[in-house]
Amino acid sequence: MEQDNQINRRRFLGLAVWAIAALISAGMGVPAIAYIVGPALKRVQSSEWLRLGATSKVELGIPTLFKVKLQKQTGWIVNEEEVSVYLLTEDGRDFIAMSNICTHLGCRVRWIAEQEQFFCPCHNGVFDKEGRVISGPPPRPLDRYEVKVEDGQLFMLGG
Amino acid sequence: MGVRIAIWLDERLAWRQVWEAIFLRKIPKVNWLYTLGSASLFVAINQIITGILLTIYYVPTPDHAYDSVQYITTQIPAGWLIRGLHHWGASAMVILVVLHMLRVIWHGAYKYPRELTWFSGVFLLLIVIGFGFTGYLLPWDQKAYWATTVGTRIAGSPPIIGDWILRVIRGGEELTAITLARFFGVHVWVLPTGLLLLILLHMYLVVRIGISAAPKREE
Repeated sequence: MEQDNQINRRRFLGLAVWAIAALISAGMGVPAIAYIVGPALKRVQSSEWLRLGATSKVELGIPTLFKVKLQKQTGWIVNEEEVSVYLLTEDGRDFIAMSNICTHLGCRVRWIAEQEQFFCPCHNGVFDKEGRVISGPPPRPLDRYEVKVEDGQLFMLGG
Repeated sequence: MGVRIAIWLDERLAWRQVWEAIFLRKIPKVNWLYTLGSASLFVAINQIITGILLTIYYVPTPDHAYDSVQYITTQIPAGWLIRGLHHWGASAMVILVVLHMLRVIWHGAYKYPRELTWFSGVFLLLIVIGFGFTGYLLPWDQKAYWATTVGTRIAGSPPIIGDWILRVIRGGEELTAITLARFFGVHVWVLPTGLLLLILLHMYLVVRIGISAAPKREE
């Protein structure tokens, strides 16, 4: 009976094998998980001021579409991507820049001049001039970009 | 709880019997040279795991292969480790299986009734060499390119059929995207399938027949 509780050579070696196996598994498993999820957790925050154009191009009270090209790095591939933004100003001094990406499921919205509304063709989301949701499934207003004006030129913070 | 699950499973799977047959089987008195087979198996498992992980980012085309390997090595967390394990594991694998073979020759362990174990081992050795040859091209750097140029040229050196062999291996006259793609396909699909099937046979025979005792001088 007493012998059962004692750690003999056989039992010790058996435990040691399991311990080494656990160590190797952890040594392999932890880097493997980091390796797999690594790029997914990487937040790309490009704080680059992109030049949109002259402020005079924005009509008063009407959202105006601007397109900017920007270099985007995904993995080992650098792509040129086009970003579309709607710019709105009521007085020619204060500007807001709205993304044209619907906050519902990511389709592109369009400004319908006759109705003075943004319309998303995918699930009939409707936004007003300033991007607030009027009807349809979108959960929040259109996303906005930070803008600044320098020497009559519009810039937005994007990426 | 754990014990009850173990009993429940054992009633249906008889896993205890399998476990005993594999790990608690009787073996003759042996020495450290007899661990070379297990060591090969261990490194093979390492190669399989790290190899699967590498395919998550690796792209086997000439315009992406090199960049994707650099991306793995420099940008992905632990990418240098995964690639390093696969790279050095490959060399270790070749060394271990050759030493394993030498031990079997040295002890005459290939004789009756273990001929099939030996034959499957010979094919396993060829597969390991095939892995080394195809895997060497995949990083698509200068060393890979020229080593494969030379290697395929050597394969094409026999008379009459040599040129045909060279063209089949390269997938054409030159070393191109086709070569890279087929080396990748062979490296990740064809050879692993052969390796796993032969390992199963090899290990079944080791368990079924048992390993040979070291020969004694008086015999």
